[in-house]
Amino acid sequence: MLPSILYTLNFNIMKAIIYSLALASLFLVSCGTGDKTKTPSNNIDSDGAVTTAGSEAKATIKQIFAAYFDLKNALAQDNSPSAADAAKQVIGAMSGLDKGSLSKEQAIVFNDIYDDAKGHAEHVAENGGNLAHQREHFETLSEEMVELAEVTPGEKLYLDHCPMFNDGKGANWLSESKAISNPYLGKSMPTCGTVKKEIN
Amino acid sequence: MSRKKTILLTLAAMLISFQFYPLVYNDDKRVTSVHFTRVYAVPEKVQAILKNSCYNCHSNSTKYPWYAYVQPAGWFLASHIKEGKSELNLSEFGGYSPRRQKSKLKNMAGSVRDGSMPISSYTMIGRNARLRESGKKILLDWLNTTRQALTK
Repeated sequence: MLPSILYTLNFNIMKAIIYSLALASLFLVSCGTGDKTKTPSNNIDSDGAVTTAGSEAKATIKQIFAAYFDLKNALAQDNSPSAADAAKQVIGAMSGLDKGSLSKEQAIVFNDIYDDAKGHAEHVAENGGNLAHQREHFETLSEEMVELAEVTPGEKLYLDHCPMFNDGKGANWLSESKAISNPYLGKSMPTCGTVKKEIN
Repeated sequence: MSRKKTILLTLAAMLISFQFYPLVYNDDKRVTSVHFTRVYAVPEKVQAILKNSCYNCHSNSTKYPWYAYVQPAGWFLASHIKEGKSELNLSEFGGYSPRRQKSKLKNMAGSVRDGSMPISSYTMIGRNARLRESGKKILLDWLNTTRQALTK
């Protein structure tokens, strides 16, 4: 009976059925071990959380920037997996921040950027192997890090600009050193870019 | 031969038993004030594209194909939709912070431009959801103008 039905159905539907059967065979395995989980959910939790018990916000902010610079340097080296790792560190440091010890101005900026920045860092973390996608999210994350840097005095930082990224629309990034090391173009054009501004 | 029969029978039995696990369908048709089309003035052409290529996984209202009511195909779709909505839910777009909204517009454009969306595992089965070059351009132009207007 089943084959005769199959013949009357069109190609797309056939495909769906093949998918179903393929899935069914997967379930065969999982049912055998008594596992009845239906849909695997892959909520990404920020591992690599930084312990901040007792330490003040300043130290955590330093960690956020340190992780961001690791990310930036990994992208400049075209190293997608370590960019993903560094992005996890960014998320860990950001979620470990004790917001209570921020100044009012800092809290406003941090709360404003937090969910978005975390979202972008998550994309970088989940896309090891896809440098283009990582860089797209790194761009917005960078804008947000600049805003954070402007309200959190610390070591001297450089706001760099790459005029070529995004089909000539350009993009900014934040650097801990004066020498240009371009995270958007990586090894193909490592020194493309200029220092736009010094922060702190 | 009999071994083959056993396997086929087992599979058939499993497929039947799967049908007893019901699914909660993603089928809330309400268009509230936080819906994408209420947050922005979306031209009809763009709305048609969103409806055709995006809403099924990125809104609270999925237009299900018949096989969604057959398991395990329905489960497969459900996990897709869950993932899609966690990334971008156009039914609740107004619930994102203004900054997040702007980011989402940017990344929508990025995904459409590089062709990662609509996702290929979806367009393989749902062929109608494919974006043609003309539709892609209309959507991209609108997304970019809208985002630029927000920056000013």
